[in-house]
Amino acid sequence: MAGSALRRLMAEYRQLTLNPPEGIVAGPISEDNFFEWEALIAGPEGTCFEGGVFPAKLVFPPDYPLSPPKMKFTCEMFHPNIFADGRVCISILHAPGDDPMGYELSAERWSPVQSVEKILLSVVSMLAEPNDESGANVDAAIMWRDNREEFNKIARRIVRKTLGLPS
Amino acid sequence: MRSLGLSALSLALTAVVIGNAFYQKKQFYPSVVYITKSNPSMAVIYIQFFVIVLMLGKLLRKIFLGTLRPAEFEHLMERFWYALTETCLAFTVFRDDFNPRFVALFTVLLFLKSFHWLAEERVDYMERSPVIGWLFHVRVASLLSVLGLLDYLMIVHAYESVALKGPTVQLVFGFEYAILITMVANTTVKYVLHAAELRADSPWENKAVFLLYTELVIGLIRVILYVLFVIIMAKIYALPMFVFRPMFFTMRNFKKALNDVIMSRRAIRNMNTLYPDATPEELAMSDNICIICREDMVSNSKKLPCGHIFHTTCLRSWFQRQQTCPTCRLNILRTPTNVTSSPPPPRPEGVNAPNINPNAGIQVPLPGFNMNNNNNNNNINIGQENPFTNLFAQNFGQAQAGATGANAGGNGTAGQVPPHVPPFVLPPFPFMAPYAIPPPPMPPNLNTLTDEELRALEGNERRHVEERLKLLQNVQLLLDAANSLMNQYSLVTARLPPIPAAATSSTVVPPSTAVSGAASTSSSTPTANSVSPEPSTSQAAFDPAAAKSATPKKDIITPVKSAQIDTNKPQSTLPEIEKDVRIEDLGSEEHADTVKHSQHNSTPTPSTSRQTSEVDPDDTELSEIRRRRLQKFQQQNDSVKTTTNE
Ligand SMILES: [Zn+2]
Ligand SMILES: [Zn+2]
Repeated sequence: MAGSALRRLMAEYRQLTLNPPEGIVAGPISEDNFFEWEALIAGPEGTCFEGGVFPAKLVFPPDYPLSPPKMKFTCEMFHPNIFADGRVCISILHAPGDDPMGYELSAERWSPVQSVEKILLSVVSMLAEPNDESGANVDAAIMWRDNREEFNKIARRIVRKTLGLPS
Repeated sequence: MRSLGLSALSLALTAVVIGNAFYQKKQFYPSVVYITKSNPSMAVIYIQFFVIVLMLGKLLRKIFLGTLRPAEFEHLMERFWYALTETCLAFTVFRDDFNPRFVALFTVLLFLKSFHWLAEERVDYMERSPVIGWLFHVRVASLLSVLGLLDYLMIVHAYESVALKGPTVQLVFGFEYAILITMVANTTVKYVLHAAELRADSPWENKAVFLLYTELVIGLIRVILYVLFVIIMAKIYALPMFVFRPMFFTMRNFKKALNDVIMSRRAIRNMNTLYPDATPEELAMSDNICIICREDMVSNSKKLPCGHIFHTTCLRSWFQRQQTCPTCRLNILRTPTNVTSSPPPPRPEGVNAPNINPNAGIQVPLPGFNMNNNNNNNNINIGQENPFTNLFAQNFGQAQAGATGANAGGNGTAGQVPPHVPPFVLPPFPFMAPYAIPPPPMPPNLNTLTDEELRALEGNERRHVEERLKLLQNVQLLLDAANSLMNQYSLVTARLPPIPAAATSSTVVPPSTAVSGAASTSSSTPTANSVSPEPSTSQAAFDPAAAKSATPKKDIITPVKSAQIDTNKPQSTLPEIEKDVRIEDLGSEEHADTVKHSQHNSTPTPSTSRQTSEVDPDDTELSEIRRRRLQKFQQQNDSVKTTTNE
């Protein structure tokens, strides 16, 4: 019998495939390694990211679900809560006790009750409502707050780019 | 392709060098002497030597490992460069011994090291892949035995050399191979454990503990080796700078392993002493999926003071990291397991430990009487035995007041109490003595809060939070009181002549369900709605609110309890229950299904069959799912494209 982390990831994968949430597709990149997933997230409707399909990569630790996975967008992103290299900075991906920004509530942090699905849904809502207190991308945070027009413009350019359209 | 070209080039160069030598000297020995004397020729020969080593490495990799995964290659390269710089540092210490043989020995060492790392990566990979074939086992087993054998031979050789010629550079090699052999041992143990788990039919619970202790023992051996080596080297040569980096990492790993073992032991001890096993009745409830591993709980499960149930082993590994409930984040270290004194007693049956029940005589086991009663009786006994007796007594007094208040309120609640429950009687039990104590304050009536009081509850400043906490403490007190009241009821009913089981169970609705529901809604604190949803919601819903509605509610909320809140009068003298009650602790949502009819116990859990199929998916099914996933993405992508083009 496989290890507990692998069994849980297989269970989550099965669950995600049987009842896929709206606008989210996720699963292992290769069937012989369940600890690296690819995810495709559709930009939430009614936001500047609407219409985009954003690819991301999730890497799970060997002790999953005791520790959270790491998530990284593999396309260009411009968002207050996403680092320039694509890493996602939201509280659900941080274990209590490690708080890079020092503002997150422990109740929102990682715990085994969370899952890949919840992470991805949190990312969708993060796309819809950026948290400009987090300093993952300071430029994006400032632009989101002070110059929404410009921010939307960049977001739409990224959306077109993820679709392979000329910008 | 590029490496092939380079090897061809080096082969051609070597051929030219050797051909040139033969052309000039015509004979074997003079040619050899000619080559060794000429620096350019020697350089070419050295390069050829490295190329041969590389090709041999590729061949061995093909045999023992097959194709490397990108991550494996990346890690190999990273470690290789570190090892190379350390080797160069080592050269500085042994400047005098520097000769071709020395370089060759270091090359062989680096070469073998690389295979040790790869073997380690491979064995770690076993845990990640559902498809481990026989070829994998053959490869890993043979690789590990070959590496172990080579390490052993090298150690013996180094030992003999040092014993014969005194301390030379062989000391370093002996030490390096000793470290490598600990690595082989560690990897072998891991491999055996992983393989045993793969072969087992059921989850192997103690594997994590075995791994932990292996890590500790190997770590200790390595630390001792490093310290010995540094001391010996410092005495004979100079401080060996080149081992400082690996030594630092080894010591850090050892410290971590030690810490892990200590935490694990503590977790196991807590598990065995503090938390009760979940009873079969609790496990038979509808949501018996352990949220840590997402598998059914059949046995070996523990219940935390907050009422959440998990596999013993899952909980143990979680407690190694954090001492909180995974579901509601209740800090279990701050929470006494005794429910009577714990700040959030959402489930009154939190204590189910018959062994700490000195007054077993009070428990009246009645057929058809559900377990809530037993547990509540336990609570009473504990309450009497421990220093919280006083508080308990106050709660009890309050319970009485609450009950009379409800009746006096004349809001019809008395009529709705099932008729076989007698009106409030004072059972002549010894623990009812503290009744004489004046009732403690009542939480304020939430409907009649003045604007000022409401304002005091809003905002984020300290006094606002204090106000909210005060209100929550009141609610908490009320809860305890209601709990005690229910104990009385149950005791009273226990003394009655036997009545039909179904009727009994409907009367003993635990008060906490109604009141805690009121508590979580009345306290509109910002954290209250961010509490993690319970296990059942994980698959169905993301939104905690939706999750709540999705949870099957099958309780019968007796109006008595909700009426109690309305009849409460605000007072100010509060007994201090616990200062640091966390808001999210109190707001934690609960299953309302604490009342469970005994006939439900035999109901098979619906998810069992699904679960077993999840654990072991066959390959065709997997690829089918992947195909579907890609298809779905394609569709999504296409539809999005068309909409954006418009
Ligand atoms: Zn479990
Ligand atoms: Zn809990």
